[in-house]
Amino acid sequence: MKNRRSLFAIPYVIWLALLVVVPIVIMTVYSFTTADGVATLEHFVGMNAYAGVFLRSFQLALIATLISLLIGYPVSYLMAREGPGFQRVAMALIMLPMWMNFLLRTYSWMSILENNGLLNQLLAAVGVFDLINALTGSDIQYFQMIRTPGAVVLGMVYNYLPFMILPIYSVLVKLDNSLLEAAQDLGASTVDTFRRVILPLSLPGVLSGVTMVFVPSVSTFAISRLLGGGTQMMLGDLIENQFLGGAYNPHLGAAIAMVMMVIVVVCMAVMKHFGEGEEQAVML
Amino acid sequence: MRQRSRIGSRLIIGLVFLFLYLPIFLLIIFSFNRGDSSVVWRGFSFHWYAKLFQNRLIMESVYTTLLVSLLATAISTVVGTFASIGVYSLTRRWRDPILVVNDIPMMNADIVTGVSLCLFFVAFFQGWGSFAQWFNSVQGLVELPVRLTLGLGTLLLAHVAFNIPYVILNVAPKLRRMDKNLVDAAQDLGCTWMQAFYKVILPEIKPGIVSGALIAFTMSVDDFVISYFTAGSSTSTLAMAIYGMARRRITPEINAVSTLLFLAVLILLVVNNLREARLERLAQQQPIHQPRRPDIVERLAQGAATVRGRWLRRGVALAMACVFVVVVCLLSAATGAQPVVNVCSWGEYIAPELIEQFEQETGIRVNYQTTDSNETLYSLLKSGGADYDVVVPSDYMISQLIEENMLEELNYNNIPNFSLIDDRFKNLSYDPENKYTVPYTWGTVGLIYNTTMVKEEITSWSALYSDEYADNVLLINNSRDALGIALIYLGYSVNTTDEEEIREAYRLIADANRRGVFQARVMDEVFQYMEGGNAAIGTYYAGDYLTMLENNEDLAFVVPEEGSNWFVDAMCVLRDAPHKEEAEKWINFIASTEANLANMDEIWYASPNREALEQYPAYYEEKYEEPLDMEFYEIMAAPQEVLDRCEAYLVLPSEIRTLYNDLWIQLGA
Repeated sequence: MKNRRSLFAIPYVIWLALLVVVPIVIMTVYSFTTADGVATLEHFVGMNAYAGVFLRSFQLALIATLISLLIGYPVSYLMAREGPGFQRVAMALIMLPMWMNFLLRTYSWMSILENNGLLNQLLAAVGVFDLINALTGSDIQYFQMIRTPGAVVLGMVYNYLPFMILPIYSVLVKLDNSLLEAAQDLGASTVDTFRRVILPLSLPGVLSGVTMVFVPSVSTFAISRLLGGGTQMMLGDLIENQFLGGAYNPHLGAAIAMVMMVIVVVCMAVMKHFGEGEEQAVML
Repeated sequence: MRQRSRIGSRLIIGLVFLFLYLPIFLLIIFSFNRGDSSVVWRGFSFHWYAKLFQNRLIMESVYTTLLVSLLATAISTVVGTFASIGVYSLTRRWRDPILVVNDIPMMNADIVTGVSLCLFFVAFFQGWGSFAQWFNSVQGLVELPVRLTLGLGTLLLAHVAFNIPYVILNVAPKLRRMDKNLVDAAQDLGCTWMQAFYKVILPEIKPGIVSGALIAFTMSVDDFVISYFTAGSSTSTLAMAIYGMARRRITPEINAVSTLLFLAVLILLVVNNLREARLERLAQQQPIHQPRRPDIVERLAQGAATVRGRWLRRGVALAMACVFVVVVCLLSAATGAQPVVNVCSWGEYIAPELIEQFEQETGIRVNYQTTDSNETLYSLLKSGGADYDVVVPSDYMISQLIEENMLEELNYNNIPNFSLIDDRFKNLSYDPENKYTVPYTWGTVGLIYNTTMVKEEITSWSALYSDEYADNVLLINNSRDALGIALIYLGYSVNTTDEEEIREAYRLIADANRRGVFQARVMDEVFQYMEGGNAAIGTYYAGDYLTMLENNEDLAFVVPEEGSNWFVDAMCVLRDAPHKEEAEKWINFIASTEANLANMDEIWYASPNREALEQYPAYYEEKYEEPLDMEFYEIMAAPQEVLDRCEAYLVLPSEIRTLYNDLWIQLGA
């Protein structure tokens, strides 16, 4: 009987092999060959030309992850303290924007951050620019917001914040209340309880949240293109450019994607190391 | 004290929600704007909603998005559930590696998944093509399609591929918590395997399945990157449509469609929440220690009694599935049966009424698409993602396509309107025997500047690289034009193959870039920047300047004294295009004088059609009841003395093209 059930695994193993393993193998082959099919390492050797892009991507993604964590953790913590009705509504509200495509959400920031956009108009209406100009004798009409690294980071935080909140929240909400009571009964202060009980227990959630924000951030190309105005080239842009963009070279694109993938694998290994056996904490 | 901390906590949560929702609310508010700005409010109106339903691109992309998300969710939920059951009945030794592989699509960056799937599909199609050719040649019974392209099928496969892991992730913990003996017990008690599944396993893991399906759907709807690489050229999801639009400008129809989506999701969530709240209340009313086991045993016992009910339920499910399949088939048949021609041009580049007119006259459906540069068009063609029939590249790109044997020779007997093309535009260097092309438009590249921001009259390209306009200059975002102009400014040929000259041109741009001269790198985004007065100077095409002028009178155009590039864009048919006959009909239609006049009026690019070019001033006067300003006419159709200063691009040898690409990427890095 047992054997019959495990038969169900066979089609899925074939599926995984075909649509997960084989594509990555093909990509790997691409990254080690030239257009004529000759084996080469030139794509990896020449990679240092893009050190600036790597650096910028990691910088911006790290900042975005950090900000998401700083916003996401307290919010998850506070939400987990609320009543079940409030929690349900709050969870629904966090999921809701994800059901509108993330490009729609990014687009809505474009009109806010433009030089003559809503935010600058608001600041002008309140008289911020007049005040600054009067104080410093300068002549500014707007703050440059769009097409700056800050705008790209904002776009990342805005889009991926739910991916930080969801896993942390789902760990915190399952936290056994009696543990906290025990800690307090044993004389731990609120800070101690947090630092020595809550934080270590929520670490798996934090780690999956960090990965889930960092990975899409470091590889994005739509956000950097829409909010960065093409001036903030990131790894994603670089890869996209080699496949469907102006510079057709899928072999180089595959090589860059490979390097990025290795970084993701390292992230995964680190995460696995910290949050052993907690894979169900990744979402919900 | 406690009360106050509660208020503080809700305040913080509220602020985060404000951050999450304010942009969405602004998006919604401006969907009711009478004007077409997403910044300036011009009164309340519903007309963007009316326009939305007429916008075929957006409506089709919404349909594709929903279809793919729903189908992918349904398939991946069923497959994922059975796969989890299968995987969980394996021993750990087998299970753990499978689960690791299962994690890959979730943990990998979307772009890696997308790119690898794209490469996989294209490789598969190539293999399939040779197999089908061989298969068709050895037997005559079944004719296999030789040419497969990326499209709805690959999009769906990709979505299922990245959805299944989420389903498994949600179902697996429920299975792990379930007592495995239950199934054996059920079977010992006489259940068939299917009965045991329906009666025992399914109720236990149902919450996991539901949340798995929900997350799969969320991921599907939210996805852009994987779709972008796997949907090919003829299929586009809403996100891809927005991304394509963002190049030029996003119209408020997008706001309208977002609002409708938002409302739909909101209603769904509210209904679901109310239902859950009710269930919870019901559960609370019942005794707290409700024994769980007897519940299942009871269900088992009832099994035999509810055969009728089960058949009823199965019948309903079957009927629903049938309806769904029929609807999908009808919809795909409605779009599939009609003859089609797939056209791709670069840039925003046609009078839309021509498409309608052609469809009405011939009954051939036109899928019209654009890419943002010649180079992008080339990438699309090479990556195997495109199934276009007609493409409209520029001169130098045409030679490259001919060189790589990617174009089909035209049958000019089917294109009688070719005789209307001015001899000046026939047999040009890119197609010396004129076997492949019918010219579409021609024009010059020039410098556009805003006279309120630039006080002097600009006559030289030097303005592009000067600190005087720091942070106010737009760099054209393709290597050929940007480096070409720099070469012209330095006094070299745009077609030079001297690496040192090209590097010098690159240094000119890179230096200016380092000094912060350039505000942004733009192609069609230039419209937003120049029309909105966000930048002082840009480089773009004469025709597009005249379009910008309609929206901003302060703009001026000049072909600088150093000279410039002049170009011809021409229509060609791709090799082995599936709809060659329709493609030639389309080309003939577009080459007609009427179509050229309409196009000139819409996009302000000069026509290669002799009659149309001559008649345009009269056409303009009749249509707008005022004479055409001849200054505009001469900008559009540059007179010979201007063309004499200009040089056409020729195809560059491949090592020089690689150099162009490398330098161009370095500029961004």
